[in-house]
Amino acid sequence: MATTTAALTITSSDLVGDALSLSTSNTLQKAGSTDGLDQTTGITRAYLTSTAAIDLFPALVEGSLAFTGKSNWVYICNKSEDATEYALITIGGINVGRLYGGDFLWMPWSMVETANADNHHGDIELAPSVDTGMWFEWTCINEGTEWHAADLAIV
Amino acid sequence: MATITAALNVGSDITDYGITINKSMTMKKADNTAGLELTTGLAKRSFAANTQVDLLTAGSGIAADVTASKAAKVYIKNVGTSATDYFTIGFGNASTSTTETVSNGDATAFQLGRLYGGDWMLIPWLAVGTTGDITIMPSNATAADPMHVEYMVFFE
Repeated sequence: MATTTAALTITSSDLVGDALSLSTSNTLQKAGSTDGLDQTTGITRAYLTSTAAIDLFPALVEGSLAFTGKSNWVYICNKSEDATEYALITIGGINVGRLYGGDFLWMPWSMVETANADNHHGDIELAPSVDTGMWFEWTCINEGTEWHAADLAIV
Repeated sequence: MATITAALNVGSDITDYGITINKSMTMKKADNTAGLELTTGLAKRSFAANTQVDLLTAGSGIAADVTASKAAKVYIKNVGTSATDYFTIGFGNASTSTTETVSNGDATAFQLGRLYGGDWMLIPWLAVGTTGDITIMPSNATAADPMHVEYMVFFE
């Protein structure tokens, strides 16, 4: 069983009247368990040259609930050094937010499928703001990966 | 203009080669190198029922200045210690359902993920109109044994 620890420190000396310092840490565990997460996509480093949205992880295929109810953690980082270049992060067609140059996010992911007829999946999508080339890094640390069969037809 | 720094450190022996992430960011305004300068402060909220509600409403309440054209970061933590009780975090308009809800029926809500005891998250927030609310739903909250969450918004 693996041990994965995620720690965050937020500091500011001039946001409020007194210095702000927030530190937290947690160990990533399987859903409803004290066992550690044991699978990962590894860290991807990607150079994107289109503003078209892409799926970061192949979460769901029609008729296949891949990871629902499992514990999954996602890290995404915009490696651009340009403060005006951002990536729009969405999930299931709903906007989460923009990662500007140098920004990262760390969040859980349920990978559920929508109950609506619009057939949105729980895919996490990333759309760069420019097509001149942007670097990104992302990873998913999770449990219970269900791999899709080879040559599976995507409807 | 303020300087707010967030540092993430992830360490894992999940593979033979391990995984290490050490990343720091300075929270900045949209399309700008100037730092975010406003905050809600660290809030704590108690839940006594398993009902999906808005934790943060785009353009309203304590985050009234957060709009889609500005930058914002949201920190949320389940301050409980249970490995089985969790909060479901979502985006969109909260339903009034007392059952776990993937969508509220009009395609304006979507489940993001679960925060078990001790789990935390840090995400950007676009706060778009009717689908920009951040929703929350406890899994096992009662009046006798409520669940608690802490959250903080940094914005411009």
